[in-house]
Amino acid sequence: MASTRISAQLPPDIDPTKAPIAFGRRALPKLNEEIQSPELLTQQRALMALCDLVHDPEKVYQAIQIGFVENLKNLLLHHDSTVRQKTTEIFCIMAMHNVGRQGLIQKGVIPALAELMDDPVDICRKNAHQVFEMMAKLHEGAADILRAGLIPLLMFKLKSELNEIQELILDTLSNCLRVEASEALSSGAITILKEKLTHSSVTIRSKAAQVLLEIGTHPEGKIVVGEVIPVLVSLLEDTDSEVQASATGALMFATIKPQGRFSALGAEAIPPLLKLVAGETSKARLSAIKTLTMLAELPEGRRKLLDHTDTFQQCLNDPREAVRRAAEIAIRVIKWKPF
Amino acid sequence: MLPAPRRGAAAPAAVPYCYCSPPRALPARTKYRPPPEAAPQEKEPVRYANVMYDPRVVRGNTYALQVIPACTHLDLFEIQRQREARRKALARKRAKEQVQLTPEPVEGREHVHVQTELYLEEISDRTIEVDTECQTDAFLDRPPTPFFIPAKTGRDVATQIEEGELFDFDIEVEPILEVLVGKTMEQALLEVMEEEELAQLWAHQRAYAELRNAELAEVQRLEEQDRRYREEKERRKLQHMQMLQKQKETTEKIAAWAFAKRYLTDLIPSVFSNLRESGFFYDPIERDIETEFLPWLMTEVEETLEKKVLGRMMLDSLIRTVVEKRLDAFSQEPLSGQTEASAEEPGPIDAAPQEADEIEAADLPVTASEESDQPVAEEQLSRRISFQLEEPDQAETEDLETE
Repeated sequence: MASTRISAQLPPDIDPTKAPIAFGRRALPKLNEEIQSPELLTQQRALMALCDLVHDPEKVYQAIQIGFVENLKNLLLHHDSTVRQKTTEIFCIMAMHNVGRQGLIQKGVIPALAELMDDPVDICRKNAHQVFEMMAKLHEGAADILRAGLIPLLMFKLKSELNEIQELILDTLSNCLRVEASEALSSGAITILKEKLTHSSVTIRSKAAQVLLEIGTHPEGKIVVGEVIPVLVSLLEDTDSEVQASATGALMFATIKPQGRFSALGAEAIPPLLKLVAGETSKARLSAIKTLTMLAELPEGRRKLLDHTDTFQQCLNDPREAVRRAAEIAIRVIKWKPF
Repeated sequence: MLPAPRRGAAAPAAVPYCYCSPPRALPARTKYRPPPEAAPQEKEPVRYANVMYDPRVVRGNTYALQVIPACTHLDLFEIQRQREARRKALARKRAKEQVQLTPEPVEGREHVHVQTELYLEEISDRTIEVDTECQTDAFLDRPPTPFFIPAKTGRDVATQIEEGELFDFDIEVEPILEVLVGKTMEQALLEVMEEEELAQLWAHQRAYAELRNAELAEVQRLEEQDRRYREEKERRKLQHMQMLQKQKETTEKIAAWAFAKRYLTDLIPSVFSNLRESGFFYDPIERDIETEFLPWLMTEVEETLEKKVLGRMMLDSLIRTVVEKRLDAFSQEPLSGQTEASAEEPGPIDAAPQEADEIEAADLPVTASEESDQPVAEEQLSRRISFQLEEPDQAETEDLETE
């Protein structure tokens, strides 16, 4: 059969690993057919070409209209690792656009990707987790992940995966648990996260604290996070500002309940929090002010903080309006008297 | 057909030239062959075609015509085949000649071939051969066609394109380069913008998340505060209610105490008076007299009375026995006195209870008149008792009698 190539010697600058892309609107349909061909080389080349095309949002939209997603879902379980890797990469890039995300949710890609979590090839897993992470940032995506029952699986994977993938999993978890935390709690999240809080990597510590923050927004989560408060207080003095910010946020939610407040006071949380508030450019300022407000509701806390009201007065000059408001509320709470 | 070039003497001018075949205009060929069942065509007016468009007309130069040899290239094989074909044709012809055309000679005769022409010919198998040779000139190469140079008309004008005038690479390559570079840049920009957009989105989202978390924490704190205050309020309310309850109870108790106190103030005097009235506070001597002396007195009185009663009874019994004896004595009389006796028997029997009734009736007004006096009443009472005790005795004795 005649092929489009004229001579056996290709021009020197063409990438031989990519399929030639047809002109204009025909590009994607042709790649769609090539992907379904039984020959491995054609499939791989088509996938490489598709990977480049999909950076354009219009092409993403067109791809979803044509029905690429179904074919790509079938390719996820291909025996060849390059095919799987490229497919997951394509899903990854598609998930970066909103159109892509909506399309992926509608076609139910997330349960299909869940089967890839045990893939022997690292990069496939990494891409799959990246897709999850990006989908979780959408509310519908997070709901979809929860519905697919992926939380226990993700928790389990957290123990055994590589560091990069752990970061992605923690991000996914933090976004999903914002919606609902009961599944995670039932699969023993706290023990796993507790040991992650003392991990050597900075990003993992900060992300684990973020997950605890999200768990703490739910009432049943607050009780459980209360057990981790001493570790969080020790993280307040960590060298990295991200870790401090996340830990302060987690403490903020954990100290809402009275038991949490008592344990935080007992763990001597006030001095590091004051230091964070005093720092002008710290990201943790807002959370620290809020946490101190919580602690000021207790009598001992109020007594200790009455001496430090000038720190809060300084916060009133912060350019961010939220910080100013928080500082006013804090001062009010500290100066409140029962009579 | 071309007129063959004549060798020999010059052609006499008088003899007109005659053709082997007169030239004629070629009629036009119909484009399509006639249909097979067509009738023989009637004579149509001859249509002449244009010679110029007739494919049968030879084109080109007529004065230097190249004649294409009949067989261009014969290799050995084809030459052999042609020789074979010629031999076969000869053989066929000879076989044809073998066929007898005349009948068989009659007996005694013999057919002989005889020449009958005017001039006899010597016939022999061997034909008279005269070898003549003719030799053409060796084939010369066709001399090259002389250039046809038509007469020059017009003016000569020359133009020459120097190198670099028609095609300037730098200018021509510009649009191609623009497209290439543009596409690459576009793709690169797209990717960079994508990442930047994403980074901005995440930063935006993080800032929003921070604010949201802070607000959420504030909301939850206020909720918690509210809950605590509410619980505290409930507790205090409960406490206050309990206090009020206790207060009420205390006032009731005090009122009850006051009332009880007042009620009981004259309890003691009234109790005492009641007791005194009911005889609890007794004078011991009086009591002594009452409890001991008087019963003894009474018993003594009773005894005395009993003695009297006994005496009366004795008297009664005496009277009775006497009366009975008299009755017996009177009843010993003849039978005319039996009915009187029998009438009298129930009579005394009636009389006895009647006596008792009479005595009772006599007692009753006595008791009625003397009821007011208690000790005397007691006496009467005891007497009645004793009489009543006697009554059954009497009734018993009477029964014994009637039996």
